[in-house]
Amino acid sequence: MNIITGLINGMISGATPILLAALGGTFTFYAGIFNIAMEGMMLTGAFFAVLGSYYFDSWLMGIVCAILGSLVMALIFILFAVILKTDEFVTGIALNLFALGATTYMMRQIFNVKGAFSNPGIVSIPRIHIPLLAKIPFLGDILSGQNLMIYITVVIVILSSFIIFKTRFGLRLRAAGYNAPSLDSSGVPSAKIRTWSLIICGVLCGLAGAFLSLGYVTLFSENMSAGRGWISLAAVILVNGNPWGIALISLLFGFTDGLGLLLQQYMPSQFTSMVPYIATLIALYFYSIQARKRRI
Amino acid sequence: MQRKLISGIIGIFIALLIGAIIMLLQGYNPLQTYGALFNFSLFGLFPLATTLRNSVPLILTGLSASVAFASGPINLGQPGQLLMGALFATVGGLYLDLPSWLLIPVLLFLSMLGGALWSGVAAMLRKWFNMDEFITTLMLNMIADFFTFWAISYPFFDRSAYSPMTPQINTNGWLPIWGEFNSNVIVMILAFIVIYFVFNRLTAGYEWRITGQNSLFARLGGIKIDKNYVTVMLVTGALAGLAGGLVVMAGPHRFLKGLGANYAWDGVMIAVVANNGLIGTLLYGLFFSAMQTGSLGMELITAVPREFIQVLQAVTVLVIVAGRGYLDIVIDKTIARRKARERTV
Amino acid sequence: MQVLIEMKDIIKVFPPNVVAVDNVTTDFRIGEIHAIVGENGAGKSTLMKVLYGLEQHDQGEILLQGRSVHFQDPGEAIARGIGMVHQEILLIPQYTVWENIVLGAEPVNFIGMIDRDRARQLVQKKVDEFQFNLNIDAKIDDISVAAAQKVEILKLLYRNVSVLILDEPTAVLTPQEIPQLFNELRRLRDHGHTILFISHHLEEVLDLSDRITVMRKGEKIATVQANETSKTELAQMMVGRTVLFTSHREKSTPGKLIFSLENLTVIDAAHHKRLENVNINVHEGEIVGIAGVEGNGQFELVNSIMGLIPTKQGNLKVNDVNLTKADILERRRYISFVSQNRGKMGAAVKASILENVMMTHHRLNPHFTIWKGLMLNDQYARKFTGQIEQQFSVIMDRMDNPFRSLSGGNQQKVILGRELLLDAPFVLLDQPTRGLDVGSIEYVHELILKMREQKRAIFLISADLEELFRIADRILVLHRGKIVADLPTDQTDIEEVGYLMLEGKEQ
Repeated sequence: MNIITGLINGMISGATPILLAALGGTFTFYAGIFNIAMEGMMLTGAFFAVLGSYYFDSWLMGIVCAILGSLVMALIFILFAVILKTDEFVTGIALNLFALGATTYMMRQIFNVKGAFSNPGIVSIPRIHIPLLAKIPFLGDILSGQNLMIYITVVIVILSSFIIFKTRFGLRLRAAGYNAPSLDSSGVPSAKIRTWSLIICGVLCGLAGAFLSLGYVTLFSENMSAGRGWISLAAVILVNGNPWGIALISLLFGFTDGLGLLLQQYMPSQFTSMVPYIATLIALYFYSIQARKRRI
Repeated sequence: MQRKLISGIIGIFIALLIGAIIMLLQGYNPLQTYGALFNFSLFGLFPLATTLRNSVPLILTGLSASVAFASGPINLGQPGQLLMGALFATVGGLYLDLPSWLLIPVLLFLSMLGGALWSGVAAMLRKWFNMDEFITTLMLNMIADFFTFWAISYPFFDRSAYSPMTPQINTNGWLPIWGEFNSNVIVMILAFIVIYFVFNRLTAGYEWRITGQNSLFARLGGIKIDKNYVTVMLVTGALAGLAGGLVVMAGPHRFLKGLGANYAWDGVMIAVVANNGLIGTLLYGLFFSAMQTGSLGMELITAVPREFIQVLQAVTVLVIVAGRGYLDIVIDKTIARRKARERTV
Repeated sequence: MQVLIEMKDIIKVFPPNVVAVDNVTTDFRIGEIHAIVGENGAGKSTLMKVLYGLEQHDQGEILLQGRSVHFQDPGEAIARGIGMVHQEILLIPQYTVWENIVLGAEPVNFIGMIDRDRARQLVQKKVDEFQFNLNIDAKIDDISVAAAQKVEILKLLYRNVSVLILDEPTAVLTPQEIPQLFNELRRLRDHGHTILFISHHLEEVLDLSDRITVMRKGEKIATVQANETSKTELAQMMVGRTVLFTSHREKSTPGKLIFSLENLTVIDAAHHKRLENVNINVHEGEIVGIAGVEGNGQFELVNSIMGLIPTKQGNLKVNDVNLTKADILERRRYISFVSQNRGKMGAAVKASILENVMMTHHRLNPHFTIWKGLMLNDQYARKFTGQIEQQFSVIMDRMDNPFRSLSGGNQQKVILGRELLLDAPFVLLDQPTRGLDVGSIEYVHELILKMREQKRAIFLISADLEELFRIADRILVLHRGKIVADLPTDQTDIEEVGYLMLEGKEQ
């Protein structure tokens, strides 16, 4: 029982940062933006989370700083891609490089270390024990005792689905992606919608980063997002946007992450680390097979 | 051509300005810092030779990305292709005993083979299963990273070393150094000439370029875009692989953990800022190499950490790319406004 | 009638130096239908876009009810009661009729959630008020183009606009659908609305409007009362010279069979039959035209002839060579193709003129390459481009300049030159004169007639019935993927063809 519980908990932990970033990507996806900057936003969030947590001695401030840091990245994206109309792909790549360089640089300048910053002074996001849920047999160990961020994520999934499909903003959001000139001629500037979608993405990627450095582990290391932003991008593309589908796929990827840890007893760690990425390829395979469009 | 040069120079200038502001805010002296930066990269035979030597992987991966993007396929797999190229060259250099004049070309060939093989995987996945090479090349990067890590930790591990690395390759495979000047630059220049010729003068290059701009038009014109797609992927993979082989053969002469590190992503960045132009890639490659080479000296003299260069690079890219489009819009709008004023009765 | 809108001395220049609107002064009154006519590129669309806030004028003034206004975006114009329906339907295909109509003015509750019931109620009310025949829950993807146009109009009426600007409203309708639209517009006018509509169809303009403003090359030529002018007078003002409305096509003498399509059937990804048992024959020295409402199979017809899409069954032969399974390059030996969309299919606009001219020739003509086809022969290509420049009277600067630096008419000439010099026996033309000015259109028509003299087999797809009747020898009608008529041009007329296009059978 413990192995399974451990596996499921590992799955949920591994899935969470991917899920949060992918939800952010979903908003920009629906708005019609080709956003590949989730990796950079997540990394920035992770760094500022540690910064805020360490200096303010509070995980809450860590989360706040993570969101702010990630928002700065989002604002840069907005400045270049929406206002100056620079190519979105290029902006995303430049932003990812900028985030990598800036976080490495700042870690060196502020904490005077290279490679990784780990310190007992970093306050991590706590786990929450819900006595009522803990009593449920079998599921109790899973439903209760998870990191706070995971409960927040569940709420966000529900909220996202509601916002995108039931509200006025959601109607306009999807319209911006389906046919931006149509939205413009309806009197709603599609640029404004795109801007908001990027801001939401910034917030969510900030949360993803905060969980990475204050929940999953408690440290910041160079390039610690490790390609998760790309996996979340793959998730968005594979699912075509629906928040619940994103949740499912993220759990799948999280599972492979946990599976990797399990398999470490049987094969060199390098191979087990490959598992999430191979899994993404397999998922892409199934997606591509069934979506084999006629090329015209 | 002129507009490109001007916007490039203005962009670099603005980026350096922004960098100077960031430095001032932190209490560093920008003039001293930039002085040290360029002193250690351009002023003097040793700095210049070092900059040239370091520019080789940047330019080759940049060419790989430029040619790919300009022809259609979004090959973001240079990091992985570089590593596989380096691995193939290393393994060849460990087990083949041939005279220098033979071993070096063979190893170079093996490195291109390694890179082409790796990009070929992505090409086949696209051809057989319609899997987007954007994602597959990215995933393959991570997989190559782990795979080569395993390879240098187990089967090809140097038992006498303290960290994961292979033994040194046969000295016959070491690229010769003439004074300060490393011959990997020769290989790079040869590769550049070849790819420039192919891309601009050969029928194949013409077809690649047009396909990259409008694949439907190319297809309707009778161009076999599927065949060309695979060729481009293989060629650009080979370029990145060659970069990897040269890193090993001109540098540490063995495969260490962390080889190639950022080179390949920088290659994509260079292609982007050069707008996929081949000559632009060459020039920007030299420029970024100068910045990276000089950053070590910069850190020695003024204590500005060399990671600052990564920030500066990204800022340069953003400024130049944003400025490029913006400059055109501004110039056109000014002309339009003047014309309107002329016609007022 | 009272003046509602005044536009004074409007100047609009498109960067860098295209003067689209050149010192135009005009006015529009309450309760009138006012047409703005001119040929392609005259500036009529731009003038209206300036009024609507989609474009910003560089000089001049706009007055609404005597007060100066300057709309920065359509939202402002709509708020003041001015709305525009564009030529291309600008709706969200995935949304329903009511969702499209309320988009931007959605009824919501306190947490921002859309009140679906109220929205549907409001929309239904408007539908009933103006007697538009619409199912408000239908997706735009599933309704006809004429219905979509009504949705666009309703969208504006929902926002209580009093001025409706319509850009070429009849371009997407069949002859049979037009009277219904006109009745609805007259009803709106009698309600007190002001209708401004842009068109270059003079008969419709004379039928529907109260006043007409004529524009040419960005300038306003005159504003006249519809009942005081004639088609000839309007045409003369539009073009600046006398225009003949008759065709000068001699009777054709078709020779042997060049192109034959047998039992062509195409099924799409959703298993719908897009083309069913289509049979088409074209002989040398013959121009065969095909008419049909967009979306009835023209796209699949063109693409299967070119080899872009697979076919369920059918045979394609040119000069007795079976091309059914041939790849595109093989087909190009026998087929010249002018696509309907220059930018998307006919050229690479950022590449140079020279590079665009070389296409296909570089594979079919050995003179274009050396070393057994490996390397390009730059010299020969340049000579060839010069040949095209001369033969087709193309006005170009340097052949290394980007293709898009040419004007629309010249771009089409270059493409025609490239395609015709392939010396293929069969010529496929898809909307070859779309978007061109009258001068270029005349040139292209003459070129097509010359090709007919040269004994080529020509297949012309066109949405312009007047054009078909002017130059085609035979007219086919495509309806829901089937050929429903094959008539010699001089044995039919526009009304009959229009009816066939819409109904699929004879009256």
